[in-house]
Amino acid sequence: MNHLRQILKDNLLSSFEDIKINIAEENRIIIECRKESIITVLSHLKSDGFNHLSLISCVDWINENTFELVYILTAYTEDPEKGGLNLLVKTKVVRDKPTLYTVINVFSNAEPFERELHELYGIHFSGHPRLTPLLLERSYEIPPFRKDFDTRQYVEDFFKQIPTIEEKKRTNERT
Amino acid sequence: MDRNKIGKWLKSPGKMAQKYSLHALYFCTGCGIIEIPPTITARWDAERFGVIPVATPRQANLFLITGYVSLKTLKYIIRSYEQMPEPKFTVGFGSCPINGGMYWDSYNTIKHLDKYIPIDGWIAGCMPRPEAVFVAVTHLWTLIDKGKADGYKKYREDYELYRENQESVLGKLEWPPLFSKEKQHEASV
Repeated sequence: MNHLRQILKDNLLSSFEDIKINIAEENRIIIECRKESIITVLSHLKSDGFNHLSLISCVDWINENTFELVYILTAYTEDPEKGGLNLLVKTKVVRDKPTLYTVINVFSNAEPFERELHELYGIHFSGHPRLTPLLLERSYEIPPFRKDFDTRQYVEDFFKQIPTIEEKKRTNERT
Repeated sequence: MDRNKIGKWLKSPGKMAQKYSLHALYFCTGCGIIEIPPTITARWDAERFGVIPVATPRQANLFLITGYVSLKTLKYIIRSYEQMPEPKFTVGFGSCPINGGMYWDSYNTIKHLDKYIPIDGWIAGCMPRPEAVFVAVTHLWTLIDKGKADGYKKYREDYELYRENQESVLGKLEWPPLFSKEKQHEASV
């Protein structure tokens, strides 16, 4: 296990500059790179054998004013060393009007993940064929998964202001 | 049957037949659907109460809303409810249709379902056991006897108020209003 991870680490460090690698636990390797070089890093790893994109996720660091995107890659092999590894590729984006390039040309199953992130966090992916709503039914001023979206205030303002039918009938009778 | 029921059967056979054959459209909303298959199958048998599941809304009498209702689900609950023929009854399961339940501070779920669709009865619990479902069905029978299970009549009378509430949550609805005042006036005249 150590052997394979060391090989991967040396390989990546020699091919790219400005990249940081951290071997966290038994089966998890964290790779941090800049947002302009995601596509080259991901295609390098795909040609290395890690050809399954499990998830694209996002963390909202509101104090540092950044979003951190995480791409999780695994490998479909019977090889016990490589098969248990999860690679996490992390990048940071500015929180005000964030834009990124899509990775659909590398992994074509990234389309619904990027739609979901666009809807829930407000990140714009340029080059995506259709960024339409996937899960939610209406639009919100602040995208609802950000940390400055106050859910209790939203419920107070929106859902509790709708009167019940008996109250409406009583106000109709009075006027 | 008991002797005291023969009188009821002779007085109003339509009502008695309607009570003992409530065909249920179970709309699989949310988490509560996990309690419906045990209720219907052989161990806690619901067919001895007359409740069986049917295929389409046009054949159904009783509407079971079994869990939390998000905005997307509410659109299709309204469409299914309006397709059911009258007389029809609705029962809300669990604490989520009553006051929001576990999702009381969520941006996407309905907190109080009575504002959008008329509901005849509530069952408390998270999720209620099959025995609680049967207690609710027997309560519904007594309400039908007294004539108090009139959710569908209220929907017909106050349709504009219901539709205002529905549109304030969902935006403009794509289907035209079900009841309009001129046609009701024509029908009664």
